[in-house]
Amino acid sequence: MSLENKNVLVVGSGVSGLSAALELANAGTDVYLVEKGAVVGGVAASFCCKATDICSRCSVCVVPDKIKQALSHPQIRLFTRSTIKEVSGEVGSFRVKVLRQPQYVDEERCIACGLCAQVCPTEPKAIYPPLAGATPFSYVLDKGGCLRFKGEKCSLCKDSCPTQAIEFDIKPKEQELKVGAIIVATGFDVFDARLKGSLGYGRYPNVLTGLDLERVFSREGYLRLPPSGREPGRIAFIQCVGSRDEGHGYCSQVCCKYAMKLAGLIKYQNPDSQITIFYIDLQSAGKGFAQFYQEYKKMIRFIRGVPVEVSQVVPGELEVKFEDISQGKVCREVFDLVVLSVGISPGKDSWDLARILGINLADDGFFGTKDSLASNETNVDGIFVAGTCQGPKDIPDSVAHGMAAAAKAIQVLAGVASHKTR
Amino acid sequence: MEPRIGVFLCNCGGALNNIDFEAAAKEVSKLPGVARVEFSSSLCFEEGKQRMVSCIRGDNLDRVVVAACSPNFQEPGFQEVIERAGLNRYLLSMANIREQCSWAHTGDVTAKAVKLVKMAVNKVRLLQPLQTKEVPVSREVLVVGGGFSGVSVAVQLARVGFSVTLLEEGKVLGAGMSELESFYGFDAGQVINGAEMDERIEILTSCPVLEVTGRVGNFTIRISKDGQEIVRKYGAVVVASGYQTKLTSGSEAKSGRGIVSQEEFCRMLGDSGLARQPKTVGFLFDFSDESSRFSTLATLNNALTAKTKWGSEVYVFYRSVKVDSQGTERLYREARDCGVVFVKCEAPPSITAENGRVKVKARDVFAGEDVVLACDVLVGEELYLPAEGTETLSSLLNIRRDSRGFFQDENVHIYPVASERRGIFFVGECRGDLGRPRVLADISSVVAEVHALLSSGKMRVETEKVKADPQKCVACLTCIRVCPHGAIQLVRADGGKEVAGISDAACFACGVCAGICPAKAIAFQGYRDEEILAQIEAI
Repeated sequence: MSLENKNVLVVGSGVSGLSAALELANAGTDVYLVEKGAVVGGVAASFCCKATDICSRCSVCVVPDKIKQALSHPQIRLFTRSTIKEVSGEVGSFRVKVLRQPQYVDEERCIACGLCAQVCPTEPKAIYPPLAGATPFSYVLDKGGCLRFKGEKCSLCKDSCPTQAIEFDIKPKEQELKVGAIIVATGFDVFDARLKGSLGYGRYPNVLTGLDLERVFSREGYLRLPPSGREPGRIAFIQCVGSRDEGHGYCSQVCCKYAMKLAGLIKYQNPDSQITIFYIDLQSAGKGFAQFYQEYKKMIRFIRGVPVEVSQVVPGELEVKFEDISQGKVCREVFDLVVLSVGISPGKDSWDLARILGINLADDGFFGTKDSLASNETNVDGIFVAGTCQGPKDIPDSVAHGMAAAAKAIQVLAGVASHKTR
Repeated sequence: MEPRIGVFLCNCGGALNNIDFEAAAKEVSKLPGVARVEFSSSLCFEEGKQRMVSCIRGDNLDRVVVAACSPNFQEPGFQEVIERAGLNRYLLSMANIREQCSWAHTGDVTAKAVKLVKMAVNKVRLLQPLQTKEVPVSREVLVVGGGFSGVSVAVQLARVGFSVTLLEEGKVLGAGMSELESFYGFDAGQVINGAEMDERIEILTSCPVLEVTGRVGNFTIRISKDGQEIVRKYGAVVVASGYQTKLTSGSEAKSGRGIVSQEEFCRMLGDSGLARQPKTVGFLFDFSDESSRFSTLATLNNALTAKTKWGSEVYVFYRSVKVDSQGTERLYREARDCGVVFVKCEAPPSITAENGRVKVKARDVFAGEDVVLACDVLVGEELYLPAEGTETLSSLLNIRRDSRGFFQDENVHIYPVASERRGIFFVGECRGDLGRPRVLADISSVVAEVHALLSSGKMRVETEKVKADPQKCVACLTCIRVCPHGAIQLVRADGGKEVAGISDAACFACGVCAGICPAKAIAFQGYRDEEILAQIEAI
C-alpha cells in the first residue's frame, strides 16, 4: 500500500513527536512538524547524561539522535515558532491553519558563526546562541532587548552577518495545511515547585528541582552550591512533589528513577556525599532497573515518608522536617542541598488545543483516549495523541508511544485509501 | 594511479579567525596527492556547493576533504555534493577545524588545523567506494504467540496490508486472556474474532516453530503442523510469546491450604456457584520481586472486586505499590476509598496454617506493631516470568534473553521492540513486566517498525561495508560467535572453501567482527588498520 501524497501533521517536536514524525516519514508520508518554540527536542533536550563509569540508561542520548534524524529527513518539514489556529475537515482531509511567528534569523542560512553577537551593542546581547545542543543551532534574536525593535536605527548584526541570515522586517505568517491525520504530541509542563510553598523552592537558593539539577549537570557537568561554590555533602531528594497528591491523582513515573540516577551521579563524583531519598512508594519496576536499584540501595539512604517542611536555619543550611516512621516521631535533619523531584503536569496549552481540535481531556488534565484498549486514539477519528500529553511517560515510553501513534495514523490512511479505491 | 585529492577549506563566514587560512592552504597544497586547495567562507551554502562541484569536475578530482565544521552538521550535505559531481559519496573525509580546533582554543591554531587536514587527506587517499543496492524483501510476516499482544499485532499488520501468519503452540488463541479481560474490561472474544474474520491472517494453532534460517526480508521457517512439516518464507518475525506467573516458593509450598494464585482467585470471583464466599481475604506482593507491576495491578483489581462483590474484609500486605503505569494510582485510591486495608511492611510476613485458615503475621511500618490476620483465603505473592518455551524460541531465533529470562531488546531505550537481529521484533509481555499502557504502545510500534522495513517490498543496503576476505579467512567461526546481529554465516567461496559471509542486509556495521578476527580477514570500510595508521602517521 502506497502512502505517497499522504500528509500527516505532528504537533510538538519533543521525543514522541520526533519519533512519530520519523516513523511516518520512513513509511513514505510527508510530515509537517509544527513546534511552538524556537528549537526542537522538547524538555528532554535539556536533560543531562547520568552515566557514571557505566551507562545508567537514562535514555537522554536518544534525543539528539532523534533530532538529527528528523531534521535531515527530506520528508519532514519543520515549522518552528508556530501554533495551530484552526482545524476543519475530517479524517483523510483535515485543513489546518498554522500561524508562524517571525524568526528574524533565518535558520537555514545561519551558520552559527557568532559574528552577530560580537557586534551587538546591547548588554546582555539581544542576539545570542540557542541552548547547548539546540537544533536547529541557529542564533536567536530577542525582540525585547533589540535596539531595532525599540525604534533605533541599529543594524549592526544584520550588516555583520556573512550569510545574510538576519531580516528585521518580517510579519507573522498564516498558512493552511492539508493533512490526512493529526498527531498531537505537545508534551507536559514540569510541576511548578513554588506551589508547594512549605518546601522552600524559590525562597532558598539551595532548594532546587530535579529539572534544575538536570540543567546544571547538562551545562556544567558537575554540581556546586550557588553562593559558596562548594560541593554539597548532605543532599536530600524529596519525591512525589506534584505527583500522587490532591490535584495530581497519578504517579509521574519518572521521578524515582531520575532521582536515583542523579543521586548515583553525585555520589560517583563525590563519594563522600551523603544522600537521602524521601519517598512514599519506590517505583523500581522497569527493564533492567532491578539491578540498578539493588546497587543504589547500598549507597543511598532511603526513608519512607515525604517531608512537609524545609526551612533555612542559617544561610546554606536547610532543615528538613519529616516523620521517621521506624521511630514513630518527628525528626529534623540538616542538609546542604534539597532537591525536589518534581513531576509531570499536563501542558497549559492543552485546553486550547483540545478546543481547537475537538478532542477530550481526561479528568487529570491530560488528553484522553477513546477506550481502555486505545493507546493513541482520541474521540475524533484521525486525531491521535502521543507521549506525555496523554499521561506521564519516560523517554523510552515516549518513543514507543510516538511510534505507536504513527502506526495508527498509517492504519487510518491505509483505510481511507482502500475505501476510496473500492 | 595517484589519487587527485581536492581539499576545501571553509572559515565559516569569517568566524574561524584564529586560523591563518592562507598559510594553511599553502601547507596543505604540498601534501602528496593533493591536486587542488580551495578556500571559501560559506561552503555549506548553495553557491559554495556549486563551486565545489565545478572544482571537482574541472580538475578531475577523485577524492575530497572538507575542512570546516563538525561532520554532525554537514557531512550528508557534502556527500550529496560530491555525488552530484559524479564521485562516490563515500570518498569524502571531513576535518573538523571549527568545534575541535578554532573554537576549542584561544590564540593561533593554524598548525593544529593543518594536522587535522593532513589526517583527513591520509585517510581519504585509502578510502574505497561503496555501493548501495536494493534487495527484495518478503511482505509476509510471522507472528509467534496467539495471546492478546500477538492477536492485536496480527490484526494491525493486516490493516496496513501485510499477509500475516499467526502461530500458536497451544490449541486455541487467547488462552491467557480471561484474567486480563476482567481487569481491563475489554471483550477478548471480539479481539480474537477480529483476527479470525480477517482473510489476510492465517491462523495456525498447535504449531510450534522447528527451525529459523535466513536473514531480514527473507527468513525461512520450518513449522510443525499435524505431524507434517511446512516451510515458509517471511520478511519479518514478531515474537509475542507472553508471560506466566508462579507463586513464590514460600507461598507455593503451602498452596492448597487456602493459599491461591491471582488467577485462581480471579476465577473464584467470577464463579457464581461458589459454596462459601470468603469473609477475610489477604494479598501479598512486592517482597520477592520488587518490579511487580503486574502483581500490583492484579492485587488492586482483585482486592477491589472482592470488596465490592463479596463485601469481604480485604487486607493487602506489600512493600511499595508500583503505580508507575497509567491508571494504577487511581485504582489504588479507589481500593483504599472502598475500605481495602493496606498494610505496608518492610520485611515479608510470616505465613502459617491454623485451624484451616491462613495466618499472616507482619510488622506494619506505620503502626510500628505486629499485625496478625487469620484469613480464609490468602492470595500469595507471585513471580512474573517469561512463558514456557521462551528459552527454546530464543535459541531458534538466535536472540538474547535478559537476566530474568525475558527477551532482551536491541536497545531498551531507543528501539524497545527490536531485537538485535534486524527483522525480528518482540512485543509486550515477553520482553518484561510492562503494564497495559506500554503493551498497547508496543503493539502499534511493532507495526510501525515492520511497515518501515517491509512495506515497499525492497530494502536499500550498503554493500560490503564490512567484508571478509575469503583468501585470509580460516573459518575459525570467531566472528560468527561474536556477531550480536546474527549477520554472519559460513558460505562457500569460489573453489569450495567454507568462509565467513556477512549479510549486508543484516549487518549493523558495529565493527565487532573486524576488531576480533584473528586472521585480520575482516575489513570495516573507513576503519581499516591502514586507514587508522595513516591518520596517526600524519601527526
